[in-house]
Amino acid sequence: DSRIQYERVGADVTMKCGSMDWDAAVTWTANGTDIDDSHLNGSYLILKNVDLTRSGQYSCYEGSSWHLKYQTYLKVGVPPKEPVLMCRSNNYPKGFYCSWHLPSPTYIPNSFNISVIHGTREMVCEKDIFPKNRCHIRYLQLFSTVKYKVTLTVTNALGKNSTTLTFDEFAIVKPDPPESVVAKPVPNNPRRLEVAWQNPSSWPDPESFPLKFFLRYRPLILDQWQHVELSDGTSHTITDAYAGKEYIIQVAAKDNDIGTWSDWSVAVHATPWTEEPKHLTTEVQITETTSTSTSSFMPPPTTKICDKGAGVGSGAVAVCWTAGLVLAAYGVLFI
Amino acid sequence: GDSWGIFAFLCAALCHLPAVPALNGTEELGAGQSIQKTYDLTRYLEHQLRTLAGTYLNYLGPPFNEPDFTPPRLARAERVPGATVDLELWRGLTDNARLAANYRAYSRLLCYLRALDGQAGTAELRHRLGHFCSSLQGLVLSIAGVMSSLGYPLPAGPTAAPGSPGAANDFLKKMDEFWLLKELQTWLWRSAKDFNRLKKKVPPAVVTLRLEARGF
Repeated sequence: DSRIQYERVGADVTMKCGSMDWDAAVTWTANGTDIDDSHLNGSYLILKNVDLTRSGQYSCYEGSSWHLKYQTYLKVGVPPKEPVLMCRSNNYPKGFYCSWHLPSPTYIPNSFNISVIHGTREMVCEKDIFPKNRCHIRYLQLFSTVKYKVTLTVTNALGKNSTTLTFDEFAIVKPDPPESVVAKPVPNNPRRLEVAWQNPSSWPDPESFPLKFFLRYRPLILDQWQHVELSDGTSHTITDAYAGKEYIIQVAAKDNDIGTWSDWSVAVHATPWTEEPKHLTTEVQITETTSTSTSSFMPPPTTKICDKGAGVGSGAVAVCWTAGLVLAAYGVLFI
Repeated sequence: GDSWGIFAFLCAALCHLPAVPALNGTEELGAGQSIQKTYDLTRYLEHQLRTLAGTYLNYLGPPFNEPDFTPPRLARAERVPGATVDLELWRGLTDNARLAANYRAYSRLLCYLRALDGQAGTAELRHRLGHFCSSLQGLVLSIAGVMSSLGYPLPAGPTAAPGSPGAANDFLKKMDEFWLLKELQTWLWRSAKDFNRLKKKVPPAVVTLRLEARGF
């Protein structure tokens, strides 16, 4: 008959060949490979100080007939360490969720049981399908003076462990980071950047439960952040950016009155508006004055005008060409 | 039995101190600004309470000053008004009901807090309690100001709850004090949300019109 056997790492395992006598002649295999006689004590298989590599299928065959007398699947593992539990309300005042994980693997299957007690009442924490190891609870009442007590127990074939969290309704409020953060330069303003964002979509009622925000920004080349706290609105204009430097910007959110700050949003990059370099404009002016003072019309060197838009792409080249033709046409007219 | 009588007397005496607010000043502010002022006051008080509660719970000693202390709420007559409320019910409160609930709660809480005053441990603690009570009185007056500027009647003044049993022993008395502070803390958190809602719903323009009408 087939079965599963769980053993601890470091344990000594003795396997009996079913109902066979101790002095019967048997052969043991591990995952189909014969096991050396040195591990045998009569018909018993002795595995000392097992490690994870010992996991596998063990079979015992009667010596001569090669009948399968016993089979088991050995799974080597460890009992669970104290689990890590976290509870958080990112959707206040709807409710909260708890999520957990084991600090290190057990190598064998574990089952989790979570209990939530509020005063004298036991509440049901509904398990989420995804992600696993997470469950959520809806608040039945708001502004509770009684703490919530959440106990997570993890059990496997080799042991169990648990951890408990006790908290006030207000203490676990932590919104998700703001969404859709966008930063843009402001035309004709070399020291400004316009930043805009949205409330996290998981926050259900920003009207009655407004959020406040924390903005941080720095040029990529510096380590020091600058901070702005904003109690209103979902946009802000930075007015002290270093000209021409690329900036990294992030925003965090918090309920106006309770709980803690969210994690930082995804970082956005932006560089303030910069003016076009001045020297090109002056060259064109000089060329134009020279051409007007002479009697015969000379089309100004089109290359200089085209340099202005040189970086923009093939479209600019087409424009330059057309400009050259037009100027040549005018030149012909005046001759 | 004996201690309850004294408590009831104290409460009655302290609570019937003139609590009628001086209305003239707040009416000129306009409801919008008064609501903001009241909101700011609740934040200030919540901050003050953090230090005060810590000190007071230490004075009460263990287990009251243990962070995870979660005693069951004894089914005694509700002397301290509860902040806990069903979500939809809270959402659906009229402005009047919302303000009235706050007014009643803080009037009562102030009353009980004042009764603590005379018994608390060190002179410093009593001084802190006294200061907090003054600020709390300011909050009650502020709420009254908002209500009157919006034309809502003030709820009847707080009276000592008749017939409710006094603490049978020292431990239960401390338990009562623990819950008093807890309820106060929760109310201050709730009020921030109450006044946020009121801020959005009361347009200052409406009140200005009313004041102008009164001028004629």
